[in-house]
Amino acid sequence: MDTWKYHPSPGIDTPVSESLRGFPREPGMLAYAIRSVAALLLRAWMRTYHRLHIEGRENLPAKGSYVLVCNHTSHLDTLCLLSSVPLRSIHHCFPAAAADYFFSSVPRSAVSAILINALPFDRKAKGARSLALCSALLKTEGNILILFPEGTRTTTGAMGRFRSGIGRLAAGSDLDILPCHLEGGLRAWPKGKLLPRPRRLHLRIGQAKNYRHLDRSPESVKAVCADLEERVARLGGGAE
Amino acid sequence: MSIDFAINSPVFLRYLLIVGGLLLFAGVVLGSLRLAGRNVASPLRTYRGWLIMIPIVLGTLFLGREATILGVTLLAAVGFKEFARATGLYEDWWMTGIVYLAIFALGAVSLVPDPRLGSPGWYGFFMASPVFVIALILLVPIVRNRSRGELQKVALAILGFIYFGWMFMHLGFLANTGNAYGYLLFLVFAVEINDVAAFTFGRMFGKRKLRERISPNKTLAGSVGAIAISLVLPWLLWFSFPHFSPALLVLTGLIVGVGGQLGDLVISYIKRDIGIKDMGATIHGHGGILDRVDSMIFVAPIFFHMVRWFNGAG
Repeated sequence: MDTWKYHPSPGIDTPVSESLRGFPREPGMLAYAIRSVAALLLRAWMRTYHRLHIEGRENLPAKGSYVLVCNHTSHLDTLCLLSSVPLRSIHHCFPAAAADYFFSSVPRSAVSAILINALPFDRKAKGARSLALCSALLKTEGNILILFPEGTRTTTGAMGRFRSGIGRLAAGSDLDILPCHLEGGLRAWPKGKLLPRPRRLHLRIGQAKNYRHLDRSPESVKAVCADLEERVARLGGGAE
Repeated sequence: MSIDFAINSPVFLRYLLIVGGLLLFAGVVLGSLRLAGRNVASPLRTYRGWLIMIPIVLGTLFLGREATILGVTLLAAVGFKEFARATGLYEDWWMTGIVYLAIFALGAVSLVPDPRLGSPGWYGFFMASPVFVIALILLVPIVRNRSRGELQKVALAILGFIYFGWMFMHLGFLANTGNAYGYLLFLVFAVEINDVAAFTFGRMFGKRKLRERISPNKTLAGSVGAIAISLVLPWLLWFSFPHFSPALLVLTGLIVGVGGQLGDLVISYIKRDIGIKDMGATIHGHGGILDRVDSMIFVAPIFFHMVRWFNGAG
């Protein structure tokens, strides 16, 4: 009789406090249940409290993996984008979140990992490694990445320059990038305020764009960043 | 079993004093060893683990029957989760989910009164539960129309429920007996002392290995020493069950001394077969929950049925 083959979870020796920060995350029944309930509550809150209006939902690809790229005015951006993807994708939708902020303590990590399903993105030291994590993630069919290429929330309302990360991710790879623009986030929840205010939000999702025809040179990276920046700004109509 | 009872119970108070005194003593010993320049980093980590665990356990018992049963149910669920993650059963959500449900159902069965007799805890259903749960687990491959690799999953799920769920949860059912505080406090205390004694005697006198292909650190001397300590403990702590005859005290000592070490060895060969060191990393300095409660899994059901056999439901 042959001996059985076991598949121990890779993170079996990792304490909970550390496994919350780890990525990719092991799927857990309890985490999925909590996240599903949270997603439903979030959608209800967005529809009623913020009167969230989503335009261009038909642009979301029905299958395959893709990246949502959005301007960044408040924490509501992530929540709006999470509410825009189909509910069944919620466990495969990963907002890239600054590791130094969203994973700085155990309670914060728990919220980021369990409720938001965030991907800990190191925006300071190990940017290249975080990007490699992102592109590995997108190789799996059905995974969605949410990225804010400005890298931080705006305080003035003017959109910041897109950092090179999205360019390096997209240039030369067969990846659908959807530009998105959220209007009203700055008024609803400015940086530094504890709680959001009941202001209207308007999310526009643009058409998917693929940059596989480009090479991976620094020029192409810049071109991709500039192109996406322009597309996002155009969606917003220069408003805000 | 309730807060009122615990406050007025001399048994609870005595255990509080004993455990507090032992913790203080161990703290002083570790502290002075450290001052003497010895490296005590590893025992200190274990000690810190105890400092967190003991108040949680005593606090849960203090809160009474419902809290105790709930606590044991949660421990069983986490213990099963560790087992499922270690074997890979965790990837199968049907099996894992059914065993989780069964464990929580068993917790509920321990809480509700017997519909016929009205006594706390539905004893008949608790004892018959493996019939239904095993049937349910066996049905999963049929419902999913699968056969490849299903026997292994079914077997692991059944073992997971029976061993880590049903057998361990006899500990929670003890909360329904009239002398719950005495039994539970004694069992938890004696099983842990048995563990510590096996380790200490093994370190001091151990030469011959007990079962070298299962657990290379366990020695015959440690095992004999632990059984000796466990045989003495019921006499010292007779106040926990004043109605026990001397013969029952000997039997209790044997159940704790032998059963505790068997439980330890069972987890050891499970870990060895899988090829892992610890079942998890839940308790800092102790490994997983299962690495801590492994000895109790054998002791709890056998002690429970001994009490029931000789004392009726009391």
